Amino acid sequence: MPDAPLLQLEGVRIRHEGAERATPDGVDLVVRPGEVVLLLGPSGCGKSTLALALNGLVPHSVPAELDGRVLVGGLDTREHRVGELSERVAMVFQDPDAQVVTNTLLDEVCFGPENLRLPVDEVLERAERALKLVGLWERRADDPARLSGGGRQRLAIAAALAMGSPVLVLDEPTANLDPAGIDEVYAVLRELASDRDHAIVLVEHNLDAAADLVDRVVVLDADGRLVADGPTREVLTGRAEELAALGVWLPVSTLAALRLREAGVAIEPLPITPAELGAALDAAPTLPAPRDPAPAPAAAGAPAVPPVVTAGGVSVRRGGRRGALVVHEVELEVPAGDFLAVVGVNGAGKSSLLQALAGVLAPAAGRIEAAGIDPATADAASRSRAIGYVFQNPEHQFVAGTVAGELEQALELQGVPASERAASVASMLERFGLAEAATRHPFLLSGGQKRRLSVGTALIAGAPLLVLDEPTFGQDRERAGELVALLRELNDAGTTVIAATHDLQLVADHASRVAVMAEGRLLGVGPTAEVLAGPLIEQAGLRHPPLARATRGLANHPEWRAVTRWAQLPAPGGRA
Amino acid sequence: MSALGETTVARGGPLRSLNALAKLAGPVPVMIALVLTRGVPLPLAFAVFAALVLLVGARLGLRWILVILLGVPAFAAVLGVSFGIWVDPATLPADAAGSELVLAQLGEWRFTGAMYLVGLATALRIAAIILLAFVSGLTTTGAELVRALVQQLRVPYRLGYTALAAMRFVPRFGHELEVIRAARRVRGVDRGRGPIAWLRGTVGLAVPLLASAIRHAERVALAMDARAFGAHDSRTERTISRWRRRDTVFVLGFWLVSALLWWAVETAVA
Repeated sequence: MPDAPLLQLEGVRIRHEGAERATPDGVDLVVRPGEVVLLLGPSGCGKSTLALALNGLVPHSVPAELDGRVLVGGLDTREHRVGELSERVAMVFQDPDAQVVTNTLLDEVCFGPENLRLPVDEVLERAERALKLVGLWERRADDPARLSGGGRQRLAIAAALAMGSPVLVLDEPTANLDPAGIDEVYAVLRELASDRDHAIVLVEHNLDAAADLVDRVVVLDADGRLVADGPTREVLTGRAEELAALGVWLPVSTLAALRLREAGVAIEPLPITPAELGAALDAAPTLPAPRDPAPAPAAAGAPAVPPVVTAGGVSVRRGGRRGALVVHEVELEVPAGDFLAVVGVNGAGKSSLLQALAGVLAPAAGRIEAAGIDPATADAASRSRAIGYVFQNPEHQFVAGTVAGELEQALELQGVPASERAASVASMLERFGLAEAATRHPFLLSGGQKRRLSVGTALIAGAPLLVLDEPTFGQDRERAGELVALLRELNDAGTTVIAATHDLQLVADHASRVAVMAEGRLLGVGPTAEVLAGPLIEQAGLRHPPLARATRGLANHPEWRAVTRWAQLPAPGGRA
Repeated sequence: MSALGETTVARGGPLRSLNALAKLAGPVPVMIALVLTRGVPLPLAFAVFAALVLLVGARLGLRWILVILLGVPAFAAVLGVSFGIWVDPATLPADAAGSELVLAQLGEWRFTGAMYLVGLATALRIAAIILLAFVSGLTTTGAELVRALVQQLRVPYRLGYTALAAMRFVPRFGHELEVIRAARRVRGVDRGRGPIAWLRGTVGLAVPLLASAIRHAERVALAMDARAFGAHDSRTERTISRWRRRDTVFVLGFWLVSALLWWAVETAVA
């Protein structure tokens, strides 16, 4: 049935103020009632910018130049204001904190309808319906700040639904959430998608969560041009190789199946969810033996290597002497050369433990020895010779006016004379790919460059131990991949790495050991394969990474049940 | 006090049910008048008056009752000393009350009772103004004040509700500042004493904080735009802020009692 289009884009090109080229560049798109559309593309392709154009924020509120036409329910966005268009297109943004404007959940959801000047009865009716749909009606009197990240993002969805618009646009709604929050948000989206009352346009990197609820996929290439538009399965599986080459992250299950195909296992059709991959593997009469590349060195020789970090009975308080205990009596030993991932849901105490290990916070009780010093009492110079600490947001730790200045400052702290600093700074810039940016202000770097610089400043004093707090949080897969490759390289060269993270596939692929935390306690530490195979992940309220989810339940190939890492898949080009 | 959340310090009481503007209109003229006074008796009388209004008109928890009955007087007494030691004895008349009483002596310098009384007068003025500000501060939410400003005083709603949204930034920035401080400690740039090091440190904190504040404000503005904020000249008010007869009575009564109190104290002193 040819419904009238809710959204119609004709040759849309958007150039941000000061940008040289337009991204997106010439996009035609039609969205009809009830459709659930996933918008994909490598980072920098302009998919978030395109999302902002769907309700007129581009060009009305964001300084950018719009060519072509965007029609919302037949209205040209150039000629109608955002307020008017908001009745036709509602939007949910990435950062749950930056969308809350009132003091209670009920006020928050009423805020939009009130702005539309609806009668009080209807405002309340819409608010109730929207809050019930996302499961927050019981908490309507609470302050939104008391919700978890996932809860606040559900609230943002309710606030968007209360606008009563037939189209819902979500711009990376789960990029800032922990795995539990991602599940919460997707449970709500799944329900919305199956109701078919709204057309949904979803911009998302996390294809493993999104793939099974969308019916159509639209792909932009790195230049912002439309390269694919069709039913989900057709695009994701039919053109998988092409998309992978574009730098689009496919679902892990699809990528794994592609790898198996190359190794000679016939998997047809390509799976897009772990369950489908599992079923396809079970259906295969024979599978090549999984590769078991030598586990990372620390896992094999853990007892023999002297520990670089020893923590005994460590407890940490937040908010001063009388603050709440957020870490309880942690016992932890980290052998030199280890790559230890600390996992747990938000609020499990990961950051606090890491900060205590690195001397950012003094523990309330217990003793810590890290790289030969007591981090709580050491002075800044000797601490930074022993431990490099990288904050979640690199901007927080920049102190100088130039990139080179950042690195120099770290050497100055060590008392290195000015004449000897230049050489070390130059080699560090070279090593982290920042030589061309040496004279720029650190705040003007790209996201990936900022991250590399923060790691560089943490290591230039020669620290053998690098501690990172959620280094991949809020970043897309490409940036996350770059950073992990850098950490891998440093770890191979002998640096001990301790990182808190939510990304369990990343953990599976790179960490030699995993520490699992829940409610401030360390549930357990062990080699990655053992932890991922055991019950700790679920006890901590986390979900297994996609590859492990696909292989855990295999009935016909027991030797594949322990496959959790990318490197365990057969090598491309033949039966390994 | 209560810009955040829909709760106030006061858990109830007659002051809670008054219009937010009434609770400002009553005390504010008195606060202004107090700024211009000298001497101990007037501010003392109004501090006691404001404390009585609060204790009778608002249902407070034990903690806040103690703040009003003990905390504020102790604060005034100590502040009186801090102000008093800066008083130049030469400016005081020789026969000023308490000039014979030496409270402390350091070499040639003497801290006399007269100096303390001058300091105490200033401290009491501050205490009285704080207590008068509590009358509305402890019993009004930020949302109530904005609603009253928009509905009774016709302040543009775009201004009022944006200010309310901006209030939510405060705890976020507090947290952010803490993280930046910790990061600078790790980098070893919190060294050095004296005003220049302090200034450099403050500027260093300001750059990352401002960068993040501007980014946050832009995002919030987009989110508000997307929800039709500012699209029309008015918006639905779900809660009606009313000016009732009791609000008029409260304001006129407050002024009347204040004028009587003022007159009584002035005549008693003279």
